[in-house]
Amino acid sequence: MPVVKNDPQNRRHISDYNVRGKIVVVRLCLCLAEMKKDWSDHALWWEQKQQWLLRPAWTLDKCGIHADARLTFTPQHKPLRLGLPNGMTVRLRACFSGPTFRTVMGICKLLSMRHPEELSLLRPVEEKKKKKDKEAQEEVYDLTGVPLTSGADEMYRHAALCLSGSVPNLYNGMPAHFADSPQTEAVYKMLSISQPPPAPEVIAKMYRPASVVDKAHIHSRWLDSSRSLMQQGIQENDRLWLRFKYYTFHELEPKYDAVRLTQLYEQARWAILLEDIDCTEEEMMLFGALQYHINKVSQSEPQAMMSCPAMDDLDSALQSLEVKMEGESSSMDMLLTSPSISASRPKRLTLKGYKQYWFVFKDASISYFKSKEEGFGEPIQKMDLKGCEVAGDVNVAGQKFCIKLLIPSPEGMNEVYLRCENEQQYSRWMAACRLAAKGKSLADSSFSSEVKNIQAFLSMQHSNPGAASAQNDENINTHSLVSPRYHKKYKPKQLTPRILEAYQNVAQLSLTDAILRFLQIWQALPDFGVSFFVVRFKGSRKDEVLGIAPNRLIRIDLGVGDVVKTWRYNNMRQWNVNWDIRQVAIEFDGNVNIAFGCVTADCKIVHEYIGGYIFMSTRSREQSDTLNEELFHKLTGGHEAL
Amino acid sequence: MDQLSDDELDHAAEEDSDKEDQDLDKMFGAWLGELDKLTKSLDDGKPEKLRKAPLRQETNLANFSYRFSMYNINEALNQGDPVDLDALMADLCSIEQELSSIGKPNSGTSRLPPPGEAKLRQRPPAGHSVSGHGRPLASNFSLDDITAQLEQASLSMDEAAQQSSAGAVSDHEVRSLGRSPRSSINSASAGSMDSLDMEKPPRPPEVDGLQQPAPQLPSQDTIAVCLQEEQAAKLKAEKIRVALEKIKEAQVKKLVIRVHMSDESSKTMMVDERQTVRQVLDSLLDKSHCGYSPDWSLVETITELQMERIFEDHENLVENLLNWTRDSHNKLMFTERIEKYALFKNPQNYLLGRKETSEMADRNKEALLEECFCGSSVSVPEMEGVLWLKEDGKKSWKKRYFLLRASGIYYVPKGKAKASRDLVCFLQLDHVNVYHGQDYRSKYKAPTDYCLALKHPQIQKKSQYIKYLCCDDVRTLHQWVNGIRIAKYGKQLYMNYQEAMKRTEAAYDWSSLSSSSIKSGSSSSSLPESHSNHSTQSDSGVSDSTCSSHARSQSVVSSIFSEAWKRGTQMEESSKVRVSP
Repeated sequence: MPVVKNDPQNRRHISDYNVRGKIVVVRLCLCLAEMKKDWSDHALWWEQKQQWLLRPAWTLDKCGIHADARLTFTPQHKPLRLGLPNGMTVRLRACFSGPTFRTVMGICKLLSMRHPEELSLLRPVEEKKKKKDKEAQEEVYDLTGVPLTSGADEMYRHAALCLSGSVPNLYNGMPAHFADSPQTEAVYKMLSISQPPPAPEVIAKMYRPASVVDKAHIHSRWLDSSRSLMQQGIQENDRLWLRFKYYTFHELEPKYDAVRLTQLYEQARWAILLEDIDCTEEEMMLFGALQYHINKVSQSEPQAMMSCPAMDDLDSALQSLEVKMEGESSSMDMLLTSPSISASRPKRLTLKGYKQYWFVFKDASISYFKSKEEGFGEPIQKMDLKGCEVAGDVNVAGQKFCIKLLIPSPEGMNEVYLRCENEQQYSRWMAACRLAAKGKSLADSSFSSEVKNIQAFLSMQHSNPGAASAQNDENINTHSLVSPRYHKKYKPKQLTPRILEAYQNVAQLSLTDAILRFLQIWQALPDFGVSFFVVRFKGSRKDEVLGIAPNRLIRIDLGVGDVVKTWRYNNMRQWNVNWDIRQVAIEFDGNVNIAFGCVTADCKIVHEYIGGYIFMSTRSREQSDTLNEELFHKLTGGHEAL
Repeated sequence: MDQLSDDELDHAAEEDSDKEDQDLDKMFGAWLGELDKLTKSLDDGKPEKLRKAPLRQETNLANFSYRFSMYNINEALNQGDPVDLDALMADLCSIEQELSSIGKPNSGTSRLPPPGEAKLRQRPPAGHSVSGHGRPLASNFSLDDITAQLEQASLSMDEAAQQSSAGAVSDHEVRSLGRSPRSSINSASAGSMDSLDMEKPPRPPEVDGLQQPAPQLPSQDTIAVCLQEEQAAKLKAEKIRVALEKIKEAQVKKLVIRVHMSDESSKTMMVDERQTVRQVLDSLLDKSHCGYSPDWSLVETITELQMERIFEDHENLVENLLNWTRDSHNKLMFTERIEKYALFKNPQNYLLGRKETSEMADRNKEALLEECFCGSSVSVPEMEGVLWLKEDGKKSWKKRYFLLRASGIYYVPKGKAKASRDLVCFLQLDHVNVYHGQDYRSKYKAPTDYCLALKHPQIQKKSQYIKYLCCDDVRTLHQWVNGIRIAKYGKQLYMNYQEAMKRTEAAYDWSSLSSSSIKSGSSSSSLPESHSNHSTQSDSGVSDSTCSSHARSQSVVSSIFSEAWKRGTQMEESSKVRVSP
């Protein structure tokens, strides 16, 4: 029978072997592996039947192999080009022989991401010919050199270790296998630090699902978790996407999840930029502000995320003591220095326009006087800013720097407009108002950073929109932060103050907190985590949409988009698939039965999705150290279960 | 008595402390009179005082709180209700004791003058020259002083620590910690004393707590030097921690409040600004000896606006009460409200967005709560529908289609579909609280009586910034109010509930010691009060969820799902049989 030896160095040797059916697989392998080389990763692939011969003790007869069989002796691990959630491509060696579920475990281990069960692989959206040329020049991070522990047991053990939350050994703040060379260190940096905002043109060019049906088509691309890559026709050096598939993120822990958090953030960010998930304008502005902040912070302190030793109790106590003492003494200081802040005299809006007053900012309140000379007497009015709402109205080009204050009082809200003369003054007063609104005084340690933040943000307005596409670190086109819909609706200049407004609520967040906040808001969106499939319900004549969410199934009218009915997994009694007619049938409490056939995706994918979510919900906090692979396959595998 | 000057009052108080049991009422009267006089003089002598200490007027909130609480007391007295003077008296006595303990070092008999005193005297001029305005700064004054004391104390502690052995250290720590509660009260009262009495030089009460033990420490040099250094460092850490606590406590505000009970009576009590609503509830429950139930609530009633709100357990009571105006007719009520935690007793009626009430098995309820509140983010229930909105400044109400999202309340603009991108933001929830409107049908001509209002907590009078919404039925109203609470407070709300349930359980455990008849499953029978007062919404969930703990719910979820998959796999197997010939 012909056996093809797939050897990357020596091309292919095709040779005929005369073997008896009684020979066991392992013996055959040994015969083939006579050369001085490490053949341990090789195994036999039976092309016609699309299956691996992985049981060494079975005879060829038992495997069902006859003389006409064509076997290939080939490595089980082959290079794969993997598109990550952040849009980058990594070339790495992945397992082509085990179930995809295990392949993903291996990949996640290599990328040091915990909870591989939440991710899966899918075939990328076909790109147009024109783009193919471009792709050739695309930067590919190479990880194929990193030694892979081939044994499945080893992989198991490591996955368990990762899951258990025990601190992985870190070198230079990264897992050991990344610390080998500068190249791999660069890869780790790419994995764990979020990418700068994409140029608006890039966003506009990318594929955006326009309708629910488009979204449903994406989900038809998921690979089958219970079969191997080879079985699903994936070849060496093929391109696949790695994505979070199940939207239940178990125990996000910044300490261990640097890569996982970053990639999750990137996936969420792209989902929002590409309008994969709908949100309101206010939410979009907040997402924009958070992206801006995350980008800014991750560039200024790239190391902070890796080495974040929890501050010692005493340290924090001492620090807060310092702040306290500082605070006490400098509330006097501010009294002294406040005239210098207001030296250029902000103005106040009255009905007739702005009128000049002498303003003094002290503690958490603003007083104003007719003139500087009267600044020691009784103010005309004193406004306590605690709990007030602060908004900016800025136009750098028009030299307009206004602060709008909405100050609560028993009678209602007082609207006050302060007009500053220049950027410098505006940022100081704005920062002071922001702090005062939170009940902090000027002496608070965050004052200067607040001022800097505002100044940095204002600088975005300096650039004119034409030159904005040439980006640098300091200067981001605000169109990079929002989805194309808002590119049409607003100019970058108009967008800046809106994002700035939202930004002020998040400017003080640390990098990790900002990322977590972004994810939280994303998860709080009503459509979060819903994967769509076009299906046809039993007894119905038209196509409808089935949304599969982490906790429920949703039946959606395809035409109108309204939710027709929701079923929760909690009420689910059983579900099964009739593989003959490819129909999924589910029974809920109270004798509710539904059945549907799938239109846009294979029913195996739908079945796996539902089973996967139920598997996710069986994970408990106490037993996070074990990944019950067997259970996953039981729940998702259908008739091909292990 | 009214003629007493401040100093004399102190002396009087001091004398009283010797014969504490006598004439409490009389002393109370004197206190009130004095406080009254002071507040009046503060009001009357404003310009004059301002010249002396204009800054104090602005910054000292303690001042305000006393004036504020005076109103409550006067009101209580004027009404001639049988006010619970005993409770208040106890609080006042403790203050009086503090005063006397401050008064004693003042007379300077046995103790050394605190070392910080010299600094204290020099500080004000220093501040003076820095500010350059020629104003003494009363509020900073005492704190500067305290910090000066602390520095001094830390120095002496270091010295002491270097000589001390481990045993001595722990001894010392125990002593200084044991003392801290008392001295912290001292400091609190000292702060308020300052606010009332300018002429009197502020006393540093921490001194006796921190410094006294230091010289007494015995030296038994048996431990290696390095160990001693370690000890010294530890000691320093401990000391700084204590000092920090004290700095914090020095600024604690206290408020005398009057709480209306459900039976028309009222209780007067003192709360300090660090107390959460839960803590106040606990102390009220202790005092009133009513059966423990998680439904006990503090309800804020804003008479003028005809609205009320149940304070959430985690909220700070004083902070909320300070929003009331001085002449406010607002009321604080202590009463059982079934709707406070109805959300958690029957979550299926609130979280699933269904139109009709339904029953649910308890384990499913727990699973549902777990799912909603214990994930990485809280999922806000999908609330949407037509509500009536009162037009700004008009009497008319208009229908709009509203949606609740985590980021706020939105409405669908005219002629648009309800796609997220087209929604208009009606209100963001950061700055507003949600209130139940009372009888708006007659007050504002509302279409129904099921109204809710959203306003900034500081707004106390009619204003265009208050938003009024009206629902078609009571169920929708409760769903919206609870939805808004979830969007606003998130997981905190669930934690409050669990905490309340824990206390209930503890209360039952305790009572079961005396009467062993109460068993876990039948606790509803021991809760007659909770059901008698309230007619609406029978809550069958009370008894069972009372006894369930969070830990249990964990396993319940997984068991549900393991059951689910068992069935699932069974079916798969059966389908396998069917498929394979």
